[in-house]
Amino acid sequence: MVSKIDISQDQLQIMDPINATVPFKSVIDLEEKKKILFITVKGSPETVYRLVTVPKAMQVLKRMIIMSCSAYRLSAYFMSPAIRGGVLVTDAQWEKGAVAVLKTGIWFVSQNKQVCVPLSEVAGIELTQRDIQKKQLDVIKIDHLENTEVVTSFVLCPVSTLQVLLNFLKDATKEMDMKGDELDPVSAQVGMLVYSGMDSHAIENMLNIPHNELDAIVDKLLKLGLVEVMFTRREVQLTPKGVRFISDAVKPPTP
Amino acid sequence: MGRILIVDDTLFMRTLLKNILFTGGHSIVGEAGDGDEAIEKYKELKPDLVTMDVVMPKMNGIEALKAIKGIDPNAKVIMCTAVGQEQMVKLAIKSGARGYVVKPFQAPKVLEEIKNVLGS
Repeated sequence: MVSKIDISQDQLQIMDPINATVPFKSVIDLEEKKKILFITVKGSPETVYRLVTVPKAMQVLKRMIIMSCSAYRLSAYFMSPAIRGGVLVTDAQWEKGAVAVLKTGIWFVSQNKQVCVPLSEVAGIELTQRDIQKKQLDVIKIDHLENTEVVTSFVLCPVSTLQVLLNFLKDATKEMDMKGDELDPVSAQVGMLVYSGMDSHAIENMLNIPHNELDAIVDKLLKLGLVEVMFTRREVQLTPKGVRFISDAVKPPTP
Repeated sequence: MGRILIVDDTLFMRTLLKNILFTGGHSIVGEAGDGDEAIEKYKELKPDLVTMDVVMPKMNGIEALKAIKGIDPNAKVIMCTAVGQEQMVKLAIKSGARGYVVKPFQAPKVLEEIKNVLGS
């Protein structure tokens, strides 16, 4: 549905044919997926508005909602993305802004940047140290998925709030934790190759394992919820009819 | 497409990188398992680009990078390191590395980085 919107200091107004006013304070969740903004407004039941608009308006709207909505916010510096697919982003910079914790995810917000990290896409959280202005400072390293790319972001804030954020993230994503002894070394290598984008044929060749062994490992990874099936490839062989067709096809044409 | 020398002390990582680079249309002119071997192979093969592991036996990747830059100041070297060793980044960049890849990595981004460095 196409509708005009009006963004004011404290609310979003959606004109005809929706005719709705969304005070930013009433927003209890905000999520961005594939450039669509999901705005959840409190009520019984909750209302979810899905909105797409021009990037400039989207940027203003996101910033205003995040800074006014019902969320846990803390002042922080963040760097996102710092690493993308394993490659260091050379022009990555620390941005001064805030981190907002909402129902389904966290947001990094600065004047020019708003990054949504849905909790369901958080792949790893770690307290680590970074060399910032010649000082070793504690930061939170967050690995998260953006479509199929693994992105690493860093958050820097005072140690007390850093610990609160770390605990929240760990708690909210604890169902993804593993004991660490579920996989044997070969299965772990298969996992690593899948991470790097290798297909099953390449994995068989690289690890020199037969198809049925790889199948069993994939079943194990599926059972543990570590992978999902993208598609099933079929290996075929020719029937007698197929052999005849191919044999005929390569014969020189009769004059 | 480039002629690439892969330097890593683990066969697994060398094989993985070889696969990724091959699918990206690059040719792998050689492999080395430590810094010393990397320098010898660099002199012998004169590759367009080197992917260099940081932590290796005998001579580490940073030392090998410095030696290679001493031989050829225009050498294009991309460093590869495991997660948690990012503090080496500044040292590597200061020593002349053109790019930095953190393990584990994803093939499309690695190929993109190699393309960028080869084109620079």
